[in-house]
Amino acid sequence: MTKEKMRVGLFVTCLVDLMRPRIGFAALRLLEAAGCEVVVPSTQTCCGQPAFNSGDTRVARALALKLIAEFEGLEYVVVPSGSCGGMIRVHYPQLFADEPAVAARAGALAARTFELTDFLVSVLGVAKVPGDFEGTVTYHDSCSGLRELGVKAQPRALLAHMPGVELKEMAASEECCGFGGMFSVKFGDISTRIVDRKCDNILATGADAVVLGDLGCMLNIEGRLRRRGDERTRVLHVAEVLAGED
Amino acid sequence: MRSQAMFFKARAGDKLADRQLQANLGKAKSRFVEGRAQAVVDYDAAPGADFEALRDAASAIRDRVLANLDVWLETFEDKARARGAEVLYARDGAEICRLVVDIARRHGVTKAAKSKSMLSEEAGLNEALAAAGIEPVETDLGEYILQINDNEPPSHIIAPVFHKSKEEVAELFARTHHTPKKDDIAGMAREAREVLREHFMSAEMGISGANFLIAETGSAALVTNEGNGRMVTTLPKVHVVVTGIEKLVPTLEDFSTLMRLLPRSATGQRISNYVSVLTGVKGEGDLDGPEHLYVILVDNGRASLVGTEFEPMLRCIRCGACMNHCPVYQSVGGHAYGWVYPGPMGSVLTPLYTGIENALDLPHASTLCNQCGVVCPVKIPLPELLRKLREKQVDLKLRPWRERLALRLWGWVAARPALYGFAARTAVRYLNRRAGGTDRIRALRAVPDWTAGRDLAAPEGRTFRELYAERVGHEGRTKR
Repeated sequence: MTKEKMRVGLFVTCLVDLMRPRIGFAALRLLEAAGCEVVVPSTQTCCGQPAFNSGDTRVARALALKLIAEFEGLEYVVVPSGSCGGMIRVHYPQLFADEPAVAARAGALAARTFELTDFLVSVLGVAKVPGDFEGTVTYHDSCSGLRELGVKAQPRALLAHMPGVELKEMAASEECCGFGGMFSVKFGDISTRIVDRKCDNILATGADAVVLGDLGCMLNIEGRLRRRGDERTRVLHVAEVLAGED
Repeated sequence: MRSQAMFFKARAGDKLADRQLQANLGKAKSRFVEGRAQAVVDYDAAPGADFEALRDAASAIRDRVLANLDVWLETFEDKARARGAEVLYARDGAEICRLVVDIARRHGVTKAAKSKSMLSEEAGLNEALAAAGIEPVETDLGEYILQINDNEPPSHIIAPVFHKSKEEVAELFARTHHTPKKDDIAGMAREAREVLREHFMSAEMGISGANFLIAETGSAALVTNEGNGRMVTTLPKVHVVVTGIEKLVPTLEDFSTLMRLLPRSATGQRISNYVSVLTGVKGEGDLDGPEHLYVILVDNGRASLVGTEFEPMLRCIRCGACMNHCPVYQSVGGHAYGWVYPGPMGSVLTPLYTGIENALDLPHASTLCNQCGVVCPVKIPLPELLRKLREKQVDLKLRPWRERLALRLWGWVAARPALYGFAARTAVRYLNRRAGGTDRIRALRAVPDWTAGRDLAAPEGRTFRELYAERVGHEGRTKR
């Protein structure tokens, strides 16, 4: 590519920041390998989704405004999460429906915001990834990524570029894992029943790893698999698989 | 029906522990979910057919009605009256009961045969009839099973005994009918038919709901699979339709569009076994039909939703697809929701019809996965409506103060990057201490419900922002 490098803002998400920084670095590596100049605004915190889904729009708006200001100078915003990506892309414009000036800024940013695998495939047309994972994997389609952003074929297309990876689809891969943010805290027992069905479907494939694109689902599924005594199935973010070890 | 929705969490816990129920739910779920999926594939296979376009058309029809509900109601009223029906309005459940009892008394009714009607559940009509000395007999097989099981409430809007197994029904029949226990469904259905036939012949009044009201003809449309609806609406000399004011569609053409969606979304059928369009009283020379027809149009909270952010909920055609596809409903069944309507549509309707403060858990009893939204035949944005109800709870200060305080505090910190960074670093170190050198935390007091069922993987050890700042420092690069 001869044209100037694309300036891409990486929003790592609060859960990655807290629990799994390596996913943030994997996303960074993938974007750099694809030729982007990656900017990571150092003041980023949370997109506001927990407040939004809890019905506290005042807090959600404050955090949305903060994120918009941090990222609106960049060409694109890339997020290694379907639910945070969906928050920015789908819900930010709704949040400011009664403030046209902010809604316009939110809409402009929303149009340039992409879930990581969607960005790599749909915007960059990536056909080569640095990872060297070997084994069978099964893919869990996270709800927001799938039903808000249409992320379904993109991660599978990227995994297909990895010769060592064999994809074995699980039954009902599009069904929710039962996380639902605060839902799993408020209704832990119902959430456990739902994630049990997900675990059954994952284990039935016999895959070495379940791969997914959202940290919430990841913590929920991994936590339940381990509690059930399964120590074998790895639970990996798609960015980790695609980027390989640092 | 008195709402028990405030006890959702406790009731859900009981349902999760009920092994028989769990087995029954699993079987019923796959039948409906796979049925719908196949019906959509089959529909789209026909040249030029597009199920998505059909959903758009249907939701437009429903919106058209809601935009001028008063006009369509008047149209319906005029047309129905012209065919000899009496059209009455009921503001709430108590008024439904009063009107139906009055009608029954006027015609000297001692027994009323009922076809399925969710509005009669909203009103508690059976209790009111019984109290007035009129015997109500449910004739929909599922509703009949529930009635003879000590008036158990339905757990699903189209499959009232969704929660029961064949074996449980066989035992109930043997006990109630004093017959040998049967093990085949056909045999049990025959037995019920024999019992119900007596009632069809002797009831002086039939009570039904209506899936749709057709304005241009003044008709009530019934969509059923068992044929009891036809008996109830044609054999007794008096027929009473009890239905919601939002059930209107302008034309027969619109009705046929919605009929392409309703059975497919509900059960995966291309068409239900019976579709009845009932217009007016028995005419001269007609062999059957009621001599007296009453249509009771019920508000019970509906009109107050028109023009509000919750208006899209009134598009609902009661197919049950949202609950069939809901991971929460699939896990706890319908009774946990505590009122007439379960699943996502119920979690929206129950607080709106019975009071937001009386159903605080329901809007939160959803992962917002939007499986309901994508299967809804009339494209009701159910997760969005649930979220709006959560907003209402916050606005009305109905959330626990601890939760409100925690959210505000977290929001305040998250708006201050330096402070947030410190808090995140502190949290990570705390969690790691709790993991005690292992890769997981088995119990965490802050989220007891979470760790009761699953481990929490320990954090890596340092936050992304810490590590990134360090890396940028090392590389001597400046980012922004």
